[in-house]
Parts: sequence; structure tokens; C-alpha cells
Amino acid sequence: MHSLFGGATTRRAFLKTVGGGAAALAVGGIAMPAIAQSNNLTIVFNGNNENQTNALKAIIAAFEQQSGATVTLNQMDHEAHKTAIRNYLVAGAPDICFWFSGNRMKAFVDRGLFDDISDLFVQENYQSVLGGTINAVTVNGKQYGLPLAGTLWGNFYLKNVFEEKGLVAPTTWDELLTYGEAAKSAGMAPFAFASKELWPCAGFFDALNLRINGLESHIALMDGKMSYLDPALTAVFDRWEELIKGGFFLENHSSYGWQEAAPLLAQRKAGIMNLGNFIKYAIPEADLPHLTFVPFPKIADIPRFDDFSTDSVHIPANAKNKELGRQFLAFFYQPENLAAYLAPAGNVPPRNDLPPSSDPLVNAAVESLKQVQGTAQYYDRDTDPDMAQAGLNGFQEFMVRPERRQDILNRLEQTRTRIFKV
Amino acid sequence: MYPRPIPQTAVGLRRAYMVLVIAILVLWLAPLFAILLTSARSTSDIAAGNLWGWPTQFGLIDNYVGVFTQTPMARFFANSLLITVPAVVFVLALSTLAGFVLSKYPFRGSMLVFAIFIGGNFLPAQIMMIPVRDLMVRLGLYDTTWALIVFHTAFQTGFATLFMRNFIAALPKELFEAARAEGASPTQILIHVVLPLVRPALAALAILLFTFIWNDYFWAVVLTLSDTVKPVTAGLANLRGQYVSAWNVISAATVIVAVPPVAMFFLMQRHFIAGLTMGAVKG
Amino acid sequence: MSNVWRRHRGWITPAIFILPAIVLFGVVIVASSLQSVWISLHEWDGFGPMQWIGLGNYEELFADPQFYTSLKNNVIWLVIFMLAPPLGLGIALLVNQQIKGMRIVKSLFFVPLVLASVAVGVVFTWVYTPQFGLLALLFSAFGASAPALLSDENLVTFAVVFAALWPQIAFCMVLYLAGLNSLSEDLIGAGRVDGARGWNMLRHVVLPQLTQVSFIAIAITAIGALRSFDMISVMTQGGPFGSSSVLAYQMYEQSIFSYRFGYGAAIATILFLIMLVFIVWYLNRIMRAEDRSA
Repeated sequence: MHSLFGGATTRRAFLKTVGGGAAALAVGGIAMPAIAQSNNLTIVFNGNNENQTNALKAIIAAFEQQSGATVTLNQMDHEAHKTAIRNYLVAGAPDICFWFSGNRMKAFVDRGLFDDISDLFVQENYQSVLGGTINAVTVNGKQYGLPLAGTLWGNFYLKNVFEEKGLVAPTTWDELLTYGEAAKSAGMAPFAFASKELWPCAGFFDALNLRINGLESHIALMDGKMSYLDPALTAVFDRWEELIKGGFFLENHSSYGWQEAAPLLAQRKAGIMNLGNFIKYAIPEADLPHLTFVPFPKIADIPRFDDFSTDSVHIPANAKNKELGRQFLAFFYQPENLAAYLAPAGNVPPRNDLPPSSDPLVNAAVESLKQVQGTAQYYDRDTDPDMAQAGLNGFQEFMVRPERRQDILNRLEQTRTRIFKV
Repeated sequence: MYPRPIPQTAVGLRRAYMVLVIAILVLWLAPLFAILLTSARSTSDIAAGNLWGWPTQFGLIDNYVGVFTQTPMARFFANSLLITVPAVVFVLALSTLAGFVLSKYPFRGSMLVFAIFIGGNFLPAQIMMIPVRDLMVRLGLYDTTWALIVFHTAFQTGFATLFMRNFIAALPKELFEAARAEGASPTQILIHVVLPLVRPALAALAILLFTFIWNDYFWAVVLTLSDTVKPVTAGLANLRGQYVSAWNVISAATVIVAVPPVAMFFLMQRHFIAGLTMGAVKG
Repeated sequence: MSNVWRRHRGWITPAIFILPAIVLFGVVIVASSLQSVWISLHEWDGFGPMQWIGLGNYEELFADPQFYTSLKNNVIWLVIFMLAPPLGLGIALLVNQQIKGMRIVKSLFFVPLVLASVAVGVVFTWVYTPQFGLLALLFSAFGASAPALLSDENLVTFAVVFAALWPQIAFCMVLYLAGLNSLSEDLIGAGRVDGARGWNMLRHVVLPQLTQVSFIAIAITAIGALRSFDMISVMTQGGPFGSSSVLAYQMYEQSIFSYRFGYGAAIATILFLIMLVFIVWYLNRIMRAEDRSA
């Protein structure tokens, strides 16, 4: 260590190293693409399901073989990726990145950070196989990404537990109330609810609002065109309060993450969990065959609307190799490749020409979707991110302190007026 | 010495003392045992909510192997070393030089410079995110290990300069006066007087800096993107799934990530305490 | 030439010595921070053009109830964190014996400090988890049920601070261990001759010699309390409904989740002003101490 402090020499050496390194990298960053244009593709992937990653790797290997390109796959933690994408889309974009459709995609589209890939849609004729999900990646008539896995939200429960305890999965509001009393007298929480991650509260709000006020009104609220003090929402919060005060939700739900609460179904401590089909990861394998779901109970006499959130894959506007990116997307989106990619996670496929899944939950969701008249993405994907943050906190507070309803709604309305400048 | 040493002859008292110390130590480290035990649990144990009991089913090998198969952990580990070691060395060099000048060659405004070093280091790091990111992009360093090396070097130089300045200021004045009387230049004083004396402080500082930089997660997310650059803490986070966290594998990874700083401390403990004794503490 | 050099080397060499540190720190840290203050005067989402709004962010901040919740929590952190120096001293006194095996024991006491704070946060979440947590298990052993600390808006901050205290005590312990090693044997000996023992010895002979250590321990602890971020992010994400947020976390949340970099920068600026109090106090102490010894 002593020699490190040889004064001037070291310092010069240090500056030289830093300077040299910077120069080399600067050259790398600017000069390389010229050579790499035709051959190098960088992908940022935010999934953490090991099997899904392996499926993606297999697709990449096949693509490399077919096209002669070299593909670099960078995997990123799902949460960290949300921070990173805001940096790399501006600073040093990959050629392909995975993200979410709906408003989260639109936020980047509005800032010119995602590439318009409508040409790819025309070339591959995706319009004909995508159906309604195409709307999730469309802004002003142009497509900015390919929709991937869809998650249908509903009330999940274990059939065997329900039979054992003599419970009936509710399909109407009255049945829900009856079910709740039955569950409570069986010593179970009617809803295994977990709000530590905040977003599950919004799922419940969405379900109630979609059942009571319908899709159009819900989207108006999401777009900031409707007030949080609108009388139409009174019924939503009234019903919600009825359940809260009736002890329908797991006690201390803000201490639980959803992964900690979901096992309560198998432990017979709670009956239903309102979630997407990823709930299956937290259910012990032995109970998995019994896992099923019903749509959220019908309330008002309106068609059925539900949250159906889709992830998606995009080409950043600053990508270095957009042509190869398109080639990869087209390859990746071929039915057999897409099916291989989607199978491990058990999501609803966006294309309607894929073979039926071997997962009964997926097929049930596909069937159930046919009854749905229209879909929203999810509260925190549909509305402005700033609004979503305030909303999630507000809903959680309401679920713990329903008596503060008016304060909370006033605050949300204030936030709405600030964000949407109304 | 204080407290009064327990005499070697008082065997009973020594035994009682050791029992007391170990009892407190066990309580003190209970959370650590939870991590170690959980790193040996099977997934079904976790699903059943067994976080504190003895594992009913062991998955020790699966978990530790899983760390290396589910993420390029070996690569991340190497990256972490490539980031942490140079950054620590640079910080030690810069802060020794700066601390030497600030304590022995005060100039007009030197107190202000010192104040800025301290103040800058106390800033909440998150707020520098965007400016630092833009700076690294302009320098062409974004998504390279150099981005993290440069940032950590700059950031930790504040704290380290404070430490080294206090240490050097506390060295006996007579040494410097004698050296100057003999006509030694600042460079000679640095090499022949300061360096031999600050080595314990450098050892202590090195451990602290190593720990701080090694454990950084936030900047790893902000400044890096590629697997070939990312440090081990980002790899740790990679294990947290989109919807499912495998706490057993995460615990195993946590244990693996903690090994280098803990090992460093064990190896250098004697220097560490000695360095702090003479350095920070005398200020 | 050589003469000129000889005449000026007295200041040129030191200037060259300190320059790299000043330049690097100035360009990366100081410039970035100043830029943040500049950003705080704008409305900015982190991508697009910045829009000048003067003090608008600050006006909004001072009317934001969440700001006061965060501020209150920062005060709670600061107050409870001040337990770390005395507790660290306590452990240091306990283990400051030269017995075979004590070196390992001392190292083990230090381990919490080198663990990533993510790990500490996760494991303390396991302590507090209802039903399965350590606390719940302990309570149920006595037939009681534990409060869900992380769900209680009034208790959650205390629960998080308690977890963060663990590594902080270890830090203070190490500092005091070093301090105890440098005690003057003469003074201790004289104290013993005068019949000082136990508490009296600690109070009148030992503590006065540890003033400098205590001063550093308190400064580091105060800054740690104000900068607290990781533990909150891991354990509660500021929840339930923002009741455990602190300024550093609120700033992060506003910038990252709500895309409000201007507002976030304004929070950071306020946080920095609060820290400035400690920095000035600290510098003042150092300068006075040196004036005395000079």
C-alpha cells in the first residue's frame, strides 16, 4: 500500500487511467454501433421467473442461429428496473426492453422514448390475431409495443377448503355478505388481504368501481376527467366501508405482503383473495389443483368489466439497432415462441392463435374473458403515476381508517387538480 | 485499562463473565441466526410461515447453488471487487493528500473547503441521481464500472478527508516542526513523516469504505445496466421475483454477499481498532 | 527556474496535493447538489423541459401534511438514535477485556455494521410479521397476541428505528472500543489510587477522556438518523399510508414514483438545511478544539 502514495506519479497515473478509460469508453459508445449496426442486439429483461428466463434464452439462441446476430441479455430485478428504465431510456438505451402497456407505456411514448412500431404490426398482420389487447399498446392510432402476458383479476379460492367449510363462492353482493358471515363463523377472514405493497387496495377499488359505475366512468376517473368528489363514487366507498366495518378483511393487512397473505388460504385462515393468477406461486403445490376463481360479485345491473393488465415489449426510441430489434420482435412473437415464453408464468396469451394452455387456470381465464365486455389495465397502470401514488396511499388509509374518508377524498381531489391542471 | 481487567487467577469470575458475554452475544446476533437458518430452509418451510423455528426441511445446498445458477453471481462478485477495490484505493489516496494539506498547510478558505467536504457527504444521495447520471453520460461512463468507481470515489472522499484530516492534525506537532527545520519539502514530509504514521488509520478507513461501497445498491441501479458491469448487491435484488420472493435463496445470497466485508474485518481487526484509536477518536 | 520553484514549492506542492480531491468532489458531488437546488425551483418530470415555478415547490411543500409527518418522523429517528452512543459504550465496556477469545467476540459484535441494510431490514420484518414473526411467537408463548407494529401508524416508526439501531450501536461500539484503548493509564491509575471505582470512575475519569469519541459518535448517529432511507424502503416503503416516511424517503418517492423531480429536490434542499445545523455545530466544535490546543 505504501507505494501507492508515491505522490505525483500516482496521481498522474490515476488521471491517466480515468481519462484513458473515459476516452476508450466514449469511443466504444459512439464508434461501435457503426460496426455493430447489423449484428449486435441488447435486451433488458425484467422478469425473474427462472423458467421463463430460460425460455427466453432458448428463443434468443434460436434467433442468433437464424439471423447470425449476437444478442446480449441483461436481466434486471423487477423493482430496480422501474428506476433503471427512467435512466437508460435517456442515457443509453438497449434495443429491446420489457415494460408494461397502458398508461405506463404512454408516459414514455409521450416523451418520445419508445419507437413507433406500427410498421411491424402491418408487416406481420398482428391486427388480425390480437383482438382487443391491441388497444393496450396503441396511442393515437399507432402501436408502440407488443402486448405479452395478460393477467385477469378475480376472486381466487381453494375448492377443497370451500367444500370442507361449506362455503359458497359469491357471485352477487348479497351472496358476498352471506359468504362473509359464513367464513367468519368458520374462523376465517373472508378476504386474505395484504396491503403492504399498496397496490392490492387499488385492485379492490377497481373491482368495486367497475361493478358499480362501469368502464367508461372508471376510465374518466383514471384520465383525470372526473372528480374524486363525484357523487358516483359515494356508492363505491359505501360498499367498501360496509365490508371494512364488517370485518371482511384480514386484520393488520398493512403488515402483510401479498405473498405472506396468500398462504392463509391453504392454512384455512382466510377464504378468498382478490388477485391475479400469479397467486399460484404462493400456494403450496399440494393445494394447487384446487385453486380456482370467480369474477368479483355483480353489483349494479351493468355488463361485466374487469382489470386485465398486460405486460409488453418495446423498442426504445434511442435504440442503436432498431432494424434488428424489429426482426427479433417478429421472431419472438411467432406463435410457438410466444407460447414457450408465456407457458411458465401461466398468463393469458395476447394472440388468439396459440394452442390451448396445459394450465387449467389459464384456460379458465381465457373462457372468463369472453364474458367481459371491456377491460381496464389496473389503477396504477391506468392513471398518471403521480396520481396513482397518491391514490394507493389514500385507499390504504381508507381501509384502515374509514372514518377519514372525506379527508382522503379531498386530498385525492387536490392531487387530481394539480396533476391534470383542471 | 478500564474497566478493570478480570485477573487471570479469578477463574470462576472469568467463566461467569464469558457466559454473560456469550449470552448477550447470542441475543445480539439473533437476527443473524435467522438469516443463516433461513438460508438453509426449503421453499415449503417458507410457505408454511416457518421463519424462526428449526427448519423442518433443509434446502441448504439447493439455496446456495440457486444463488449461482439463478443469477450470474460469480460475475457480479467479480464486478463488485473491480468496483470496490479501486474506489477504496483512490479514496485513500485522495483523502490522505487532501487531509494532509488541510491539516498542515491551511490556506485562505481551507476551512470552507473542509466544510464543503463534510457537507457534501452528508447529502441524501438520492437527490443527486439525475445530475450524476447526466454527468456520467456526458463523460461516456454510464453503464461502466468506472461510473461507480468515480462516483464512490468522489462521494466517500468527503468522509475520508474528514477522517484523515483529523488524524493527521492529531499527530505530534514536533515531528513536523523538526522535519521543516531540516528543510524537508511537503513531498518529503508526506512520504517520510505522514505515511508511516497514518497506516493504521488507512487500515481502519479501508474497512469502513470497503463496507460502504460494497453494500451500495442504489447507485448500482442508477448507473449500471449490463450484467457485465453490475455489482453483487444488484444481483441480490435480481433474486427478488416479480411476484414471489424466495427468502431462503435471498438469505443465502445475503450470506454470500456479506462474506467479503466480514472476512476483511476479521483479518484486519487489530489494525482497525488501532487505526480508529489514533484517528477518528482523537480528532 | 529552480529558484522560483524553491521559493514557491511551499504552496505549490500542497495545492497540487489537494487539487484532485477538490476537482473530483467539486464536479461530481457539489455541482450535482447545486444542480438539485436549481431543479427544486422547477416543475420537472425528469425527462422533458423544465418549467420555472420559482418557490412554488416550497410553497406546496409547506402546505403538505405528508411533509410534517416525515419531519416528525425524522425527529423521532433523531431522538431514538441517540440511544446508540450510550448502548454502544455499554457493549464496549462489557467486552473490553483481554481474555482469550475476546477478539472473536468483539468481531462478532461488529457484524451488524457490515451487513447490507437490505438484509437487516428483511430480517427485522420477520421479527414483526404478525402470526409468524419472532415477536408474535414470543407473545403467544405467554398467551398474548403481539401488536402488528408495522401496521400501526403510531408505532411503525419506532419499530423501524429499533431495527436501524442495531447496526448503529455496532458502529458506536467500535468507536468506543477504540476510545477505551487510548485511555490514559496514568489518569486511570491516579483515579484508582483516589479510590474511584465503577460508576464514579466512569463518570469522572473515563468519560471526560472520551469526549472526542462521543462527539464523533453523536455526529455520525445524527447524520445517520437524518439520512435514514434504506430501512424504510425495505421494511415499510413509508407505509402504512405514509405514516413511517421520512424526508429522504418522501423525496425518493416523489422523484421516482411520482416523477416529480422538482418537488423531490425541494424536499432534499430542506433536508440539507436541517443537516446544516449539525454540520455547523460539528465544524464549530472542531475549530474550537483546535484553537484550544494551538
